[in-house]
Amino acid sequence: MQLKRKLTGALSLASCSLLGLPTAQAESQWDIETAVMYYSEKDRVTAIEPILGMKKELSDDEFLKLKFTLDSLTGASASGAVPSTQVQTFSTPSGNDTYVVAANETPLDPTFFDTRAQFSLGWDKPIKRTLRRNLGFNISKEYDFTSIAGNASWTWDTNLRNTSYTIGANIELDWIEPEGGAPLPLSSQDPDSSPPILRDGDSKQKQVYDLLLGVTQIIDRSSLVQFNLSLSLADGYLNDPYKLVSVVDSTAGPNEGEPVDQIYENRPDTRQRSALYSRYKKQLTNRDIFSISYRFMSDDWGIDSHTVDVSYRWRLNNGYFIQPGIRYYEQSAAHFYRYFLLDGDAIPGTVTADYRLGELTTQTIGVKFGYSGNKNNNWSIRLERYTQSGESHPDVAIGQLVNQNLYPDVDATIIQFNYAFLW
Amino acid sequence: MVIEVKESMPDFSISIDNRITRIRFRCMASPCEVLIDSQDLALAHEIAACAVGEATRIEHKFSRYLDGNLIYQINHSPGEFVELDAEADRLIAFAFQCYDLSEGLFDITSGILQKIWRFDGKHPVPTQRQVDELLPFIGLDRISYDKKRLKLPEGMQIDLGGIGKEYAVDQITGLLRNQYKPGILINLGGDIAITGMRQSGEQWFIGIEDPDRSQQASSMLKMRRGAIATSGDANRYILHRGKRYGHILNPKTGWPVEGSPRSVTVGADTCTDAGIIATLAMLQGKYAEEFLERQGLKYHCHR
Repeated sequence: MQLKRKLTGALSLASCSLLGLPTAQAESQWDIETAVMYYSEKDRVTAIEPILGMKKELSDDEFLKLKFTLDSLTGASASGAVPSTQVQTFSTPSGNDTYVVAANETPLDPTFFDTRAQFSLGWDKPIKRTLRRNLGFNISKEYDFTSIAGNASWTWDTNLRNTSYTIGANIELDWIEPEGGAPLPLSSQDPDSSPPILRDGDSKQKQVYDLLLGVTQIIDRSSLVQFNLSLSLADGYLNDPYKLVSVVDSTAGPNEGEPVDQIYENRPDTRQRSALYSRYKKQLTNRDIFSISYRFMSDDWGIDSHTVDVSYRWRLNNGYFIQPGIRYYEQSAAHFYRYFLLDGDAIPGTVTADYRLGELTTQTIGVKFGYSGNKNNNWSIRLERYTQSGESHPDVAIGQLVNQNLYPDVDATIIQFNYAFLW
Repeated sequence: MVIEVKESMPDFSISIDNRITRIRFRCMASPCEVLIDSQDLALAHEIAACAVGEATRIEHKFSRYLDGNLIYQINHSPGEFVELDAEADRLIAFAFQCYDLSEGLFDITSGILQKIWRFDGKHPVPTQRQVDELLPFIGLDRISYDKKRLKLPEGMQIDLGGIGKEYAVDQITGLLRNQYKPGILINLGGDIAITGMRQSGEQWFIGIEDPDRSQQASSMLKMRRGAIATSGDANRYILHRGKRYGHILNPKTGWPVEGSPRSVTVGADTCTDAGIIATLAMLQGKYAEEFLERQGLKYHCHR
């Protein structure tokens, strides 16, 4: 068998530790990674997200990782209600105020404003020579939402470290305290009545359980494949308390398709998902890196999704690189997704008009440019353009809705700056 | 001027020749010497006690040919965990790292192949069946190793012979470098390291033995720093069906490597590094030079 690698670097590290000699980096330092992400949807949500990641080698191959994220969101997102030829009046989530949406405009919930703080802690430790254990803890807090989660995973290297198997589990507990209380599912929102919104308690809860099985296989010195299977079960309050479904007039005539009522959505109280992720990564002879991944996800809400992600990291001189990438995503609609409901028809037990649960495709095209020549000081900037689109004029549209855009595109720009250094 | 000094335990002799003090002794089945760039006899005695003591200590602790030591205990306790002290743990961890780095070619469990392979010209080449019977007992990955504990399955053995001598050279070099100012050269059976330059600023000259003419140095190597190690032994080989098999055995096939150089000498910062690279080069057979070129170290390959 021919050994085609240069072994001397790793070998002298090993022998320095055998002989008790100082190695190049004797004192363990913090690896600090900072990032700021700016996300902006045209006419909709804008988010600014600073991230601070810290990693330290506690002892031989044992790592502590800390991560702080702060998200600040402003703007509005589509509420699920359909546009009308008339001015529409909606109640704010608190029920204390109203807002109007101009004729022929997609109703947005304009009071959307939130800040999310997140902290995660990871402890990665070798248990045996070929077995690693990772324990993690995560807490996240925003105005109406609190989440805590714990996870554990084990990675076993075998076949001369060419094959790794991972098994992991995550448990997450979430508390949702919607503004003004949780609306009663399927009840009408009526700014003219008192109260305008019927309530179903102040606080709701859900639990999410995840199981991950993974295998990574090194094919040769320059390429690897990875497969992950993940199973997830969410149980509890899975509604978005701010999303509406319009009930429209179905009688032929000038009012056909005009909203007569707005009701709060209701989703099933469990969701089972399974996902298969595969990735192939290859370092070419010029040390450029090509990566392609595919993910299939299927859940018992009827959503099947496919994601393909391709990137190419092109090595420039002096440690600089440029990495173009594209991602394509498509999903089918949840079986209880409706653009709207018809007046006079029985209201289904579960229904949503949340565009995120409809049939949609997204395309992301981006480029990352950076410098990774020095561990003590490297940076990158990422620029991405994201487009989400669905069926704007579905066949089910009737009356005035035929002329309305029932699924407006979402166009977003993402800019992220990363800077990493040793401390 | 030659002064013979006998010490009770262990045996060594000291002589002074051409401004260099030479300590000779035998250890690890090899002739060993320590050269000191000084003519101070008292100093030579101190250094001899330190070097010979350390070499003997390592041999007694890690030789698999001695009864009752840690390696004996490990090899004779199949299915049981044996506790390792800090030094043994470092050596075993290093052996595992070398096993991983070499993709299984450097394997301290391959010693049992010597039961069937005798490179003395008297024993015949073993049959494939004999080899196949031993292969299930080779492979470092079959050993349970937690931090500081080791357990061998029944039928397996470990042998640190492949790193012990080089490790001893580095240990002695480390001890002497910290304590003594004159340049010192440590040579255990051809594995060599120096603590520093000679006082005159001259380099150390090392003769490399020509495997065909074993008492004569065939080429000279100059050393300022670091270490060298040699793998290969011209006098140990088997001719079988017209092919010449050196004594380097491939732990994966159980057969000697075809097309190995007769010897490989490598220079590196530590004798341990040099020894591993030299051994792996031998295991690369006809690709030895290609492998050595890739490592970017100084080497001498004798075919």
